[in-house]
Amino acid sequence: MKNTAIFLIIAMMGLPLFATGEQEAPSGPQTVKFSVWTREGGINHWRADLAVEAAEELNAELKAEGSDITVEVEAYLDEGDWGNFKKKYSLAADSGEAPAIIVSGHEDIAVWSRSGLIVPFADSVQDVKNLAPQFDDVFDSLWEAATWQGKVWGVPQDTEARPMYFSKTNLRKMGWDDAKIADLPAAMAEGRFTLSDLIATSEEAIAKGVVAPGYGYWHRPRQGGDFVQFYKAFGGDLYDAEQDKLIIDKKALIDFYSFQRETVTTGITPDKYIGTEWKIWHDVVSNNKALFWNGGTWMWADWAKNYAQGGEETLWANVGFGYEPSGIRGEKGVTLSHPLVYLISSEKASGNTHQDLAIRLTALMTETEKNTRHAVESGHLGILKSQNDFAPYKESKFLSDVTYLLENNFYQPNHVMYGLWFDAFWNGMVASEQGTKTPEQAADDAIRVMKVEIEDQLIVK
Amino acid sequence: MEKEHRSHTGLWFIMPALILVIVFFFIPVLMTLGISATDMSSVTGFDAWKWVGLKNYVKIAQHPDSMNNFITTLKYVSLTLVFFNVGLGLLIALITSHINKLAGGFFRSAWLLPRITPPVVYVLMWSMLAADAPYGVFNQLFRIPFGLSTGNWVPEYAFLFIVLVNGYIGASFGMIIFNSAIEAIPKDIMVSSLVDGASYTQRVRYIIIPQLRWPLLFVVTYQTLSLLTSFEYIMVLTNGNFNTEVWSLWSYHKALNNYWGNFQYGFGAALAVVLVLVGTILGIVYMKYFRFGALVQEPKIDQL
Repeated sequence: MKNTAIFLIIAMMGLPLFATGEQEAPSGPQTVKFSVWTREGGINHWRADLAVEAAEELNAELKAEGSDITVEVEAYLDEGDWGNFKKKYSLAADSGEAPAIIVSGHEDIAVWSRSGLIVPFADSVQDVKNLAPQFDDVFDSLWEAATWQGKVWGVPQDTEARPMYFSKTNLRKMGWDDAKIADLPAAMAEGRFTLSDLIATSEEAIAKGVVAPGYGYWHRPRQGGDFVQFYKAFGGDLYDAEQDKLIIDKKALIDFYSFQRETVTTGITPDKYIGTEWKIWHDVVSNNKALFWNGGTWMWADWAKNYAQGGEETLWANVGFGYEPSGIRGEKGVTLSHPLVYLISSEKASGNTHQDLAIRLTALMTETEKNTRHAVESGHLGILKSQNDFAPYKESKFLSDVTYLLENNFYQPNHVMYGLWFDAFWNGMVASEQGTKTPEQAADDAIRVMKVEIEDQLIVK
Repeated sequence: MEKEHRSHTGLWFIMPALILVIVFFFIPVLMTLGISATDMSSVTGFDAWKWVGLKNYVKIAQHPDSMNNFITTLKYVSLTLVFFNVGLGLLIALITSHINKLAGGFFRSAWLLPRITPPVVYVLMWSMLAADAPYGVFNQLFRIPFGLSTGNWVPEYAFLFIVLVNGYIGASFGMIIFNSAIEAIPKDIMVSSLVDGASYTQRVRYIIIPQLRWPLLFVVTYQTLSLLTSFEYIMVLTNGNFNTEVWSLWSYHKALNNYWGNFQYGFGAALAVVLVLVGTILGIVYMKYFRFGALVQEPKIDQL
């Protein structure tokens, strides 16, 4: 007993030696551990798993350079929602335990760079392109989404679009001929088919018994950036880059809220619909039960694999897609892109002192074949110019058919207060759609909340 | 001299509990109070924040959602408390203590099931029960066969659902406390009341309820505070949509959950402080109402 006690005391006294021993840089061979976090495993697992392959290449390079350092990567796939994922990262970073690399939305750049959690890759887009040939291959517009206050803080990982999908089969049942159906994406793009046409067509489909009441149009059933494109479709602006302030346009907001309410009052969307389980949602939209629905390009792969009876072939037979139609006749259709980016944690946030190696690792992950593998498997759009000529990318019918949407896309702003703006925007939409407030009341209240929370960072139009 | 010595001994006995209370109750409240006077958020991190005095409280006063969320909280706490945590708990305790012992035990155990089911699974069961046709069980069993309209019932009756979901769990707490208190009432009093000609309802009214005063105070106080601060079931079921954003959930959303990730630690803490204040005031009111002082006085005659 006595011996055990003495042993324990000595062991405890010895602990600090072990603790400090690991932190001091030894002169011999050294292993640097990088943790790479991403949200969602499943079809998106390559976002983090690519790092494991890239680490092998990096180690080969380091060996050739005569370095003693070996990089070890631990990929972590988080299964929570975005809010929880970001919370986990923020809290880990605030206590110095963040991963060396995280894959997150570009909108996090403003908040996390301001609070010193992440480090910039370079001082300008030109500088970042000079860092590695892979970076030079990335589309210029995507670097814009990763830039904040002049510096580049992230490397694009993938991007997407949020098309308006429609059931070709149901349109045919309504009496549309093939030519008219084939023209629908162009009509959506050019402003010949607007959101009010969408309502009218859905009402007609229900009246003709082609789809059940409430199944004319399904929007995303839960919170998400998708709704911003509707506000945009009614002419709303989000951000004034010159003043670095957020914008809320009252008229566009009321029009958007009115549209949401109208989907319910016309009976094309179920009365109490928000919060519908994702499983139910995917089942409905991928099996011809609805006429129109708004979703992401990344959902296609999921539907093909997990939901559509008959797989991708049936999907192609049944489903078409185009831009989100404008709310204003004659105005072009738009789509929201939300690039995910690789961000590198600062030393303060992660304890990692090898940011240079983390940058080299992300460059190796941004290689054409690797990124294409992720894009094709997950239904995300490529980020590299070279992918346009890369056979496996070109061979993916969905990706090659949907990429044109990026010609008229927009991004959410990189602004520290955007999260608060979005929450007020979303809550107002729910209140209006459910009918607990009129669209005007909901817009008034949302703007009041924004004014209180965002203060002088907001411009009300 | 001896008296002083004795009071020191008492201090040593109370020390472990005192340390726990200070470390886990008082210090967090003080920290929350402190944070509520700062502009701490994801943007400032834990290093670059500034003192802003009462600014966050002014924000609460001006916030268009404050009144609405406050009323929602009040309604949610009082309805769940009265009808389930106390009402249903008491009812189950009374019924199960008046039936066959084995059956009583069985029903009480059954009522514990919601409490021991993991929250996410429990709420998922509710939302699948209430889901729109052809998925939901309610629609399949009670609506479609009678040709009635179907729907997604959670958003339709969101408030009712948050009360039910919490109430079914909360009832078991009161049930256990009340049941053990009823069991502890001396058998001779219970039996003699019946012998003297009291009906079962009279016995409940004049014998049992008066003896339950102390457990009633405890359950009402404890469950009020716990309902004020618990939001996890609401978060999983509606996430505060459809007018179910209770104050504690609002505080959580502001401080620790935001779709695009800018957490307002300072503002969220101020919201939490309001809850602490309301809880404290209610605690004091309950103690006065139930005459707590009289309850803890030493009995004037020793009960044999």
